[in-house]
Amino acid sequence: MAAVTGVSLTTPKVLALESPKKVQSIKFSLLNNPWKRCTEFGRSGMYVRPVAAAPEGLSEKLAESVKSAEEACSENATSGECVAAWDEVEELSAEASHARDKKKESDPLETYCKENPETDECRTYDN
Amino acid sequence: MAVSTVYTVQSLNSTCSISKPTKTHLGFNQKQLVFFKKTTTTTTRRPTTVITCSAGDTVVIGLAADSGCGKSTFMRRLTSVFGGAAEPPKGGNPDSNTLISDTTTVICLDDYHSLDRTGRKEKGVTALDPRANNFDLMYEQVKAIKSGVPVEKPIYNHVTGLIDPPELIKPPKIFVIEGLHPMYDARVRELLDFSIYLDISNEVKFAWKIQRDMAERGHSLESIKASIEARKPDFDAYIDPQKQYADAVIEVLPTQLIPDDNEGKVLRVRLIMKEGVKYFNPVYLFDEGSTISWIPCGRKLTCSYPGIKFSYGPETYFGHEVSVLEMDGQFDRLDELIYVESHLSNLSSKFYGEVTQQMLKHADFPGSNNGTGFFQTIVGLKIRDLFEQIVASKTGAPLEATKA
Repeated sequence: MAAVTGVSLTTPKVLALESPKKVQSIKFSLLNNPWKRCTEFGRSGMYVRPVAAAPEGLSEKLAESVKSAEEACSENATSGECVAAWDEVEELSAEASHARDKKKESDPLETYCKENPETDECRTYDN
Repeated sequence: MAVSTVYTVQSLNSTCSISKPTKTHLGFNQKQLVFFKKTTTTTTRRPTTVITCSAGDTVVIGLAADSGCGKSTFMRRLTSVFGGAAEPPKGGNPDSNTLISDTTTVICLDDYHSLDRTGRKEKGVTALDPRANNFDLMYEQVKAIKSGVPVEKPIYNHVTGLIDPPELIKPPKIFVIEGLHPMYDARVRELLDFSIYLDISNEVKFAWKIQRDMAERGHSLESIKASIEARKPDFDAYIDPQKQYADAVIEVLPTQLIPDDNEGKVLRVRLIMKEGVKYFNPVYLFDEGSTISWIPCGRKLTCSYPGIKFSYGPETYFGHEVSVLEMDGQFDRLDELIYVESHLSNLSSKFYGEVTQQMLKHADFPGSNNGTGFFQTIVGLKIRDLFEQIVASKTGAPLEATKA
């Protein structure tokens, strides 16, 4: 009995050690060396807020358009195709950021009350 | 005060739209015509419906800026000053760029692209290029809205990059056209009652675009930089010259308070206001027309680093006389905001602390702690004042005619 339980206890531990090793090492280095935060984890001193990426389809499109723009510009950096390709990247980035903003504000009660302000849950008493 | 008159149908039908009676937030005199329609074909009586016509009262505002430069934030602040939340039209195309509130309609000029995304790629032309835009259609439709005629405006779908079937736009009280080229075409420029240009300096633009795009997997610092560089020639050639025509320019620059600052968090914002524009009285500090430099932090007000610095003075901008109000630094506390507001004059606010109240209402918007949000809110109040003056002059004119 003891041997069996011993085996079952050890195997999960071994598995658990393998996968999060990489993540843990990064996290620990940040905790152990807090003075390194700004230089290692921020690019050129800019404060970057971690925000979730835009919906899948749009992110894919954006990544593709960046690649095709880089290709188009590798041939000729001042051609119309190169410029138009980067303009498309810009347009998609703007759209991605709008999509991210829209996703952020989806509180189910708010969206329901926008459509149905007269229902009991949504009545407000301002005075 | 509603004056009700009964008219016979014919000619008025074409210019007016039938709608349910809505409350006007601003309490303006809105002509309400009660119609009783006589149908010749059927004998059934139509119930009376209230038709509201803007009857050519529409005030047209133009807002120009490069993409990613805070136009949507500006629009939300502006519509909030007028009251009501602006939302996309209900039941229409979900990818529509239009925003509608009780008094305001905002359209995006990207809807007048003559070439869709594939078309532009084939021709090697950016959206900034005038060849990609249909200025004739833009002029006709803005003219129609201004004279009170609804239009079917095309929709440019930013997600798919195609031009979608048109949507109906009814003339509102305030019609805002925002985009890359509101002042490019001379005919459209003539139709604008007020125009604003958001001028963001290159360093600040770079910092903002990094903030916006770094979360995306596809982007890297190099790709963001390359994108800005590639668009710069077209931008300088077609978009930037529009600032000489604007009645108000909001210029955003890096701060001068922090030496060698590269974070781009503290901003220096200049509100450049053209002199001599009808119905527009520039905001001033202490004494109109003189040159003032003001640091409000001191004995009465304590500010944290780097503090706030204001300056005001007359200047010339592209050959025009302008007044420039400049703010460098950021607000940390409510009392700083209200202190500064109480020392500015000609704000066109309806009560003491209105600017502060509007800023607090949208404290989560970007720029709420610095000059960008502050000056955008002030411009919003100025536009409201301009609108009220135009309406007052229009209702005053027929009275004059009857007197004479």
